[in-house]
Amino acid sequence: MYISRHMTTDPLTVHPSMLLPEARALLNDYHFRHLPVVDEHGVLVGMLTDRDLRSAYPSSVLSDSESRLVYERVEKTEVSEIMSPDCVSLTPDSTLDDALFMFDRDQMGAMPVVEDGQVVGIFSIRDLTAAYKLSFGVGEKGAVLIGLEDDGSKTIMTRIVTFLEKEEIPFSRVLRIRSKTDGDGIYLRINTFKIAAVLALLEDNGFTVKRFT
Amino acid sequence: MSLLTLISDQRYLQHDTGGEPHPEIPERLHTIHQALEASSYFSDLNRVHPRIAEREWLLAAHDESWLFRFEEEVLSGKTYIDHVDNQIGYESYTIAMLAAGAGLTAIDLLEDNDADNVFCLVRPPGHHAEAKTPFGFCFFNNCVVAARYWQRKYNKKRILIFDFDAHHGNGIQSAFEEEYDTFYISIHEHPSFSYPGTGYADDKGIGEGKGTILNLPLQPGGDDKQVMELLEKVVSPQLEEWRPDALVIAAGFDAHAADDMSGLQYSTEIYNNIGMTIQSWAQQYTEGKILSILEGGYELSVLGESVEAYVSGLLGKR
Repeated sequence: MYISRHMTTDPLTVHPSMLLPEARALLNDYHFRHLPVVDEHGVLVGMLTDRDLRSAYPSSVLSDSESRLVYERVEKTEVSEIMSPDCVSLTPDSTLDDALFMFDRDQMGAMPVVEDGQVVGIFSIRDLTAAYKLSFGVGEKGAVLIGLEDDGSKTIMTRIVTFLEKEEIPFSRVLRIRSKTDGDGIYLRINTFKIAAVLALLEDNGFTVKRFT
Repeated sequence: MSLLTLISDQRYLQHDTGGEPHPEIPERLHTIHQALEASSYFSDLNRVHPRIAEREWLLAAHDESWLFRFEEEVLSGKTYIDHVDNQIGYESYTIAMLAAGAGLTAIDLLEDNDADNVFCLVRPPGHHAEAKTPFGFCFFNNCVVAARYWQRKYNKKRILIFDFDAHHGNGIQSAFEEEYDTFYISIHEHPSFSYPGTGYADDKGIGEGKGTILNLPLQPGGDDKQVMELLEKVVSPQLEEWRPDALVIAAGFDAHAADDMSGLQYSTEIYNNIGMTIQSWAQQYTEGKILSILEGGYELSVLGESVEAYVSGLLGKR
């Protein structure tokens, strides 16, 4: 659940004095959208995004002469002038939940990961979705999600797990979700082809299966 | 030339999964044969025995480490491999090679013009099997082995596999997803609710293979109308665009409403329509040649009639 397991390590970084055409070429060549900006000691001083660069370059509605003027200016502009200096960052021991809250609050696409002042990684929204996909077993081969009604009892989770283990039904996740919109439910990711047999067995043992049909 | 060639063998009954409650049992083939024998056209069908797939062709789809492991597990008397779903008996390794070999026998017949339309009635099924791992009752990926044989021996490069089993053929997708000259189309129950939990619509292939995987998941309860709509509006136009050299059909019958291995609600008749549609694709793109290979279908009370309806469709009969 720690960022260190899911981040991209040793990310490409740029110096604040780099000129914009070079930074743009880097983003284009590597298909990145975010570049941490670090000083000569490797200390984070800002973030440069493809959006910052797009705003710096001339708009397509400008006349040719106006565009040329903007281009000439951009070619002499340093990264430090357009980067976001006060960007938020994570540490390797931040959790996935920390990152989720920060992405949700600040609406950015990636955050640098900093340890002892040095940039040691970058963590993007894509890394976050991949990490949650892994955590919840989405797309895991051989696994299926089934839903049970939550009767609200204190022991239902224990009863479910005991039942699955007793019947030797391989499972990897049991999730109790309280939702005003969807209603309460308990979701299990079980690993078997014989789903109908498991559902029948669950019902025979007093559980109510959520039928999606 | 005969209307249709069936490739099957008594030895397929020897793959022992321990009997019920395991759904993948020899009786599946019994009930299919009975239904076909009762059909009006049975005497016109050609019947051929399969050969055992040569190691070379198994290795075209599988890692050698898996062949060794499978053989060893069987010989050591194990009753399943990796997961209790994947039940095996002492004969299973040989019989799985015989199931993979049916497609090879079929392709030789198709290429020698000794057949146009071949249906391999085999078990164990194959479409969940990965290069190194068994999954969901499958050990060798019969469709992928056949596709490789067709490509390499007969230079039929552009192979399209259409899979109408209720479950996504993860093994076929894994084999094809990075290639530009193979195509996999699957209609299956949505992976959030169904085994094997793969086959999201968003998986469209990787790298060079981008655009060569077409997953068409249906919500639980998906019925004949939805399937026909997909065939007409999505699958047929995709074939028209991609124009395959050869067609392999992963023919599974477990989306039937009576089959509790999925939540899909197909009727028996839909298999006739599917057969007819596939026949029309073959007329357009592959000079009438079709190779169908049996995958799932577990409800014995409707499996025979579903297969019979499909075969009738392939023959252009209602």
